[in-house]
Amino acid sequence: MSPGPAVQFYIFGNQNLPVTDTLLVGWLTMIIILIGVKYLTTKLEIRPNKKQNVAELLIEAIHGQIEPMLPGEGWKFLPFIATIFIYITLSNIIIVIPGLTSPSADLNLTLGLALVVFIVVQQQGIKEYGLFGYLKSYAEPVIFLLPINIIGELAKPISHSFRLFGNIIGGLIIVSLIYQAAPPIIPVPLHLWFDLFVGLIQGFIYGMVAIAYISVAKT
Amino acid sequence: MVEFSPEVIETIIRASALLGAGFAMIAGIGPGIGQGYAAGKAVESVARDPEARGNIITTMLLGQAVAESTGIYSLVIAIVLIFTI
Repeated sequence: MSPGPAVQFYIFGNQNLPVTDTLLVGWLTMIIILIGVKYLTTKLEIRPNKKQNVAELLIEAIHGQIEPMLPGEGWKFLPFIATIFIYITLSNIIIVIPGLTSPSADLNLTLGLALVVFIVVQQQGIKEYGLFGYLKSYAEPVIFLLPINIIGELAKPISHSFRLFGNIIGGLIIVSLIYQAAPPIIPVPLHLWFDLFVGLIQGFIYGMVAIAYISVAKT
Repeated sequence: MVEFSPEVIETIIRASALLGAGFAMIAGIGPGIGQGYAAGKAVESVARDPEARGNIITTMLLGQAVAESTGIYSLVIAIVLIFTI
């Protein structure tokens, strides 16, 4: 038992180009999302049919989370935030399919998305206050606090990514420990909690924290 | 001065790492208290104003996620101590 992604094969046998579980399952997640979206949004009409209702329900729910924290800009940020919500949630709960590992149990994926959110947060801050006003906001309320503000800003992507990574890999380790200690039927209900419930909640929180960071940068 | 063989030194380092992992997880107390406090306050708020249930639950989850960070850091440190040393 070891944490971290397992290398499946190497591209052209080159040791510097490993293809890991994370990459394969991540692409599988993307394919599932693409097929699902294509299925739900064929034949869009003014009076929605059943499939279109499901898609509209999802989009309206995500928009309803963005709008109170970023007033008037819900539709502008919807594509970015909805991508995070749907991709992270699906990659959290894809471990219910036997034989697959969760891409979220790899720090590369969570830290990568957290860095994308970090760049968007900085860009929104510069857009809101201008470059000089943005840099000046680090020296407030007094110039003395400059290092603390910079460290606080850099801690955001770290805590954002480690929260998801720690939750998912913690669940995986606990379940695999119980698989070693108990007969195969006992740990099965634990998958409900650690994979489905924690996965859904953490996917929701990952997106909400991204919205909160953007809204903090704009105020 | 007692000379230890490399195997003994290896064992001592491994044992210390495992003990350290156990000690690191003491930090789990903090998020437990914090999340329980947030959940309790949320229950009080829902009892007082049942219509605001959705907003209260969203805010509670966000607060609990932030309170959880320190516990997750200690978990990551414990995993690093167990699996890499």
